[in-house]
Amino acid sequence: MTTLVIADHDNNELKPSTLSVVSAAQKVGGDVVVLVAGQNCGAVAESAAKVAGVSKVLQCDDAAYANQLAENMAPFIEGLAADYSHIMFANTASGKNIMPRVAAKLDMAGISDITEVVGADTYIRPIYAGNAMMTVQSGDSCQLITVRTTAFDPVAAEGGSASVESVGAGSVSDKVSWIGQELTKSDRPELTSASIVVSGGRGMQNGENFAMLEALAEKLNAAVGASRAAVDAGFVPNDYQVGQTGKVVAPDLYIAIGISGAIQHLAGMKDSKVIVAINKDEEAPIFQVADYGLVADLFDAVPELDAALAAG
Amino acid sequence: MADVAALPGYEDATPDIVSAILEEAGKFASEVLAPLNWDGDQLGAKWTADGVTTPAGWKEAYQQFSESGWNSLAFDPTYGGQGMPGLLSAAVQEMWHSSNMAFGLCPLLTQGAVYAIESHASDELKQTYLEKMIAGTWTGTMNLTEPQAGSDLAAVRTSAEPAGDHYLIKGQKIYITYGDHDMTENTIHLVLARTPDAPAGVKGISLFIVPKFLVNADGTLGERNDARCVSIEHKLGIHASPTCVMSFGDNDGAIGYLVGEENRGLMYMFTMMNEARLAVGIEGYGIAEMAYQRALAFARDRKQGPVLLEKDSDVQGIVNHPDVRRMLMTMRSQIEAARVMAYDCAAAFDFAARHTDDEVRARFQRRGELLTPIVKGWSTEVGVDLCSLGVQIHGGMGFIEETGAAQHLRDSRITPIYEGTTGIQANDLLGRKTQYDGGKAVDELLEDMRATHEALAGSANPVAAKAKAALGDAIEMTASVSQKLVAEKNPVLAASAATDYLMMMGFTTGSWAMARIVLAADNTEDRAFGNLQCAIAGFYFDKIATHAKAHHLAIQNSASEYYELDQALL
Amino acid sequence: MKILVAVKRVLDYNVKARVNAEGTGIDLANVKMSMNPFDEIAVEEALRIKEAGKADEVIAVSMGVSQSQETIRTALAMGADRGILVETEEELQPLAVAKLLAAIAKREEPGLVIVGKQAIDDDSNQTGQMFAALMDWPQATFASEVEINGDKMKVTREVDGGLESIDVAMPALVTTDLRLNEPRYAKLPNIMKAKKKPLDTLTPAELEVDITSRLKVVKVEEPEQRKAGEIVGSVADLVDKLKNEAKVI
Repeated sequence: MTTLVIADHDNNELKPSTLSVVSAAQKVGGDVVVLVAGQNCGAVAESAAKVAGVSKVLQCDDAAYANQLAENMAPFIEGLAADYSHIMFANTASGKNIMPRVAAKLDMAGISDITEVVGADTYIRPIYAGNAMMTVQSGDSCQLITVRTTAFDPVAAEGGSASVESVGAGSVSDKVSWIGQELTKSDRPELTSASIVVSGGRGMQNGENFAMLEALAEKLNAAVGASRAAVDAGFVPNDYQVGQTGKVVAPDLYIAIGISGAIQHLAGMKDSKVIVAINKDEEAPIFQVADYGLVADLFDAVPELDAALAAG
Repeated sequence: MADVAALPGYEDATPDIVSAILEEAGKFASEVLAPLNWDGDQLGAKWTADGVTTPAGWKEAYQQFSESGWNSLAFDPTYGGQGMPGLLSAAVQEMWHSSNMAFGLCPLLTQGAVYAIESHASDELKQTYLEKMIAGTWTGTMNLTEPQAGSDLAAVRTSAEPAGDHYLIKGQKIYITYGDHDMTENTIHLVLARTPDAPAGVKGISLFIVPKFLVNADGTLGERNDARCVSIEHKLGIHASPTCVMSFGDNDGAIGYLVGEENRGLMYMFTMMNEARLAVGIEGYGIAEMAYQRALAFARDRKQGPVLLEKDSDVQGIVNHPDVRRMLMTMRSQIEAARVMAYDCAAAFDFAARHTDDEVRARFQRRGELLTPIVKGWSTEVGVDLCSLGVQIHGGMGFIEETGAAQHLRDSRITPIYEGTTGIQANDLLGRKTQYDGGKAVDELLEDMRATHEALAGSANPVAAKAKAALGDAIEMTASVSQKLVAEKNPVLAASAATDYLMMMGFTTGSWAMARIVLAADNTEDRAFGNLQCAIAGFYFDKIATHAKAHHLAIQNSASEYYELDQALL
Repeated sequence: MKILVAVKRVLDYNVKARVNAEGTGIDLANVKMSMNPFDEIAVEEALRIKEAGKADEVIAVSMGVSQSQETIRTALAMGADRGILVETEEELQPLAVAKLLAAIAKREEPGLVIVGKQAIDDDSNQTGQMFAALMDWPQATFASEVEINGDKMKVTREVDGGLESIDVAMPALVTTDLRLNEPRYAKLPNIMKAKKKPLDTLTPAELEVDITSRLKVVKVEEPEQRKAGEIVGSVADLVDKLKNEAKVI
């Protein structure tokens, strides 16, 4: 039983998500082989060889794989599949793009976004946007999987000493060509679609102090919101308002700073996955809904948090 | 619905079309109209010298509304309508009013104006105005009230001087809903006015079409007419709906075109009054439905103290306190009763318009006319109370505007007032609809109630016994008191009993509605839904139907002392 | 050119999914069902391409129980020209759906197939890619912009951290991302007309497709309940918990 892990990389460096996929592969059991397909991706292959628990790295350096086009990646992986019981991808845009194409070529099912390995053929994956967890069992001889990387603790990036083996390229599609990419998202996300929201309340004291939250949001690629009290006080414009009469948000992380937590505010953010509250009043109702509460003066805590994030 | 769809002309109203229409209307109401409701209330319509501006987003939403064809649902296909039954329209209108009553008023008024033109105007006027009004490209208004002429239209003073093929209208009208706005290129006013030689009183009132912009022969817009909004009212609710003071003929006289014949204007207005009153009744429970949904969501969410009901549920909100549950069911059961009554009324008018048998048509016309003041009067009075309960369920939060419950209460408060106050409805029900025809329409209603009562005997459903008792009481009370009132010769006694009579009729007709819900629940395959409906009906019979008895008693207690008092002592 | 759009009937996105008592799936009795939101975007895009004069016909395809007809009617009410329902009571997994769609594509020979990037019920995000593989077509997944130029198409794709553009030769597959467009509301006259538009019903057997499930659903459970909140002692603690426990930063 051997698992082929498809490395997530940009030709220059191995992305940490690969370490989580290797971790999931180890839970399945058996050997773990990492495939690094790209262009001028030697450094990536070297990094992959050092990852703890990896027994072998396959490297294919070819212009066809420079941008991980599914039309080229899929037939290539399909050609390798016979040697593997499992093929695993990170649940990145690229992994989600390629995995099903390989699966269909092999006439195998795809198993998306697993959060737990129950056994060598049994997995748990979220359905209905995480409102239910489904356990599925595969009968396929080769199991095609994408892994929710946040659900698996990464293995150590160092400590392994796998061999790097070069493999030849597969067929190249003439039906697709890569034009370019634009990865600099200078603008921060919108309030309602952001995966992280940093909100301030009356405790911010004035509009100028919201600059602290803007800085924090910059580091987290978060949107900035506010309570009605902060909007009414004129600290920030109307469209910042989160709450019953403002915007309703449900990000992965909601950080409420200097917000007491009036019921109308809670109505706008209570479906957030993780809620953090920073408030100096330990009786503030916001703490009743917070997953993590910090009782502190925000004028001390926010700069400290900012510094901690800047340090990585 | 199946019976209505079987009427000639309604062949398209098949179950799949009906459900698709309800589905899409629901989507439009919840995704486009509902999000504007709060901002509309807070920002309100604004008057400027150049005309009234509606709140941000209103114009775009209206354009989307008319482009989507929603305005045309129940109108004549000759002029671009979709020709669907009024019954379906009633269900769709509820969604507009629930999601955003201030918005829903605009098409409500256009509908009234369209019916008036459709029924009474010359073909030429129909050609000019109907298509655009049905499409919603132009909106309509109804100009009845003047400062000295409110419920009593005999006092109307606005004048209409003949001038060639048209008239010149002069005068001031108040309380004109959407009298001016920026959502469409033209507004078509229907105006009550007097021609120079008209007889005094209600028999001398004529109806005129007065467009904001004159319409050229080729259908394009011409000159601005001398009809302007000179101010808008500051109101308790429906802030986004401009309530205009309209001034006609400040300069040369506003050009108006006579609808039908001179001096018959009030009668023409009354033909559309039934439709408009039914629509306001729908508003009454429609807005209560929104208040209910908001209160229910809050009650599930809000945790206060240990609950007595469903202790093991993952919902431990105040919804599990019996008294909160009582308030919620008080809302829900009466909303359902009101909805059934409104559907009965709308379906009656569909039958009255389309049935092939003259006698059946006449019978349904009487039924529709009888139910109209009950739907308008009872559903709006109850609706306000239910919106108030919606606030109550929220506790202190309900009194805070931001929660949204208060807006429903404020918005709902107009419904028992406009299109004829509850007092006017009560006089209409007792005078025109009961005494005037010797109680015939009520007798026919009683026949149908008795048929339901008999059908209940065949039901094994435990709630059917409650239904039978409550409906039996309802029949008894309706029959005895109606006979008494038909025979009542003293107009003061009758007038003093009218509102209690209207309210009693609301609660008894409600029992009839709920009894039919129990029978329908027997026949539904969906057991969970059937049980829910029976629980709602059971609550109505136990806790709500009892109100009928109070009104029944009050009708019979003359309390003559109070109107014999000198008013100075009040 | 014909455009084929696949539309799926799913639990309405406003309705909270609840696991059924048997723990075998989600309770779908008496709940509102609607068109998968990503598929609405797919229908909208197909209609816009047709309205721009770059396609002649938009065909809406759905697979599943007979009520999926309603979903097709919704697409027809939005403006699609005709519908095809592949009716089956069996559970359909992405590979089976892709095979059925491929069988239809071989009959209809569309120049473009547009599907939602994922259905909001099982969240697999596989069907489009599998279909493209079976047809040996190029795949433009997670599209946020589509521009047809003759027999080629330039597609902007949403990838992690930004956007990517590719050129694909048609016929091709597109899967839609949220920002591709804002779907229209059905107009009332079109809702009425939708009833008169043709809707063919086929079965998997007629299409000679094996739809056997490859994955066995062992069980379905509620997710772990939210942990009770905790008060952390310092900013350092907070950052640590967010990174290593909640894993949100």
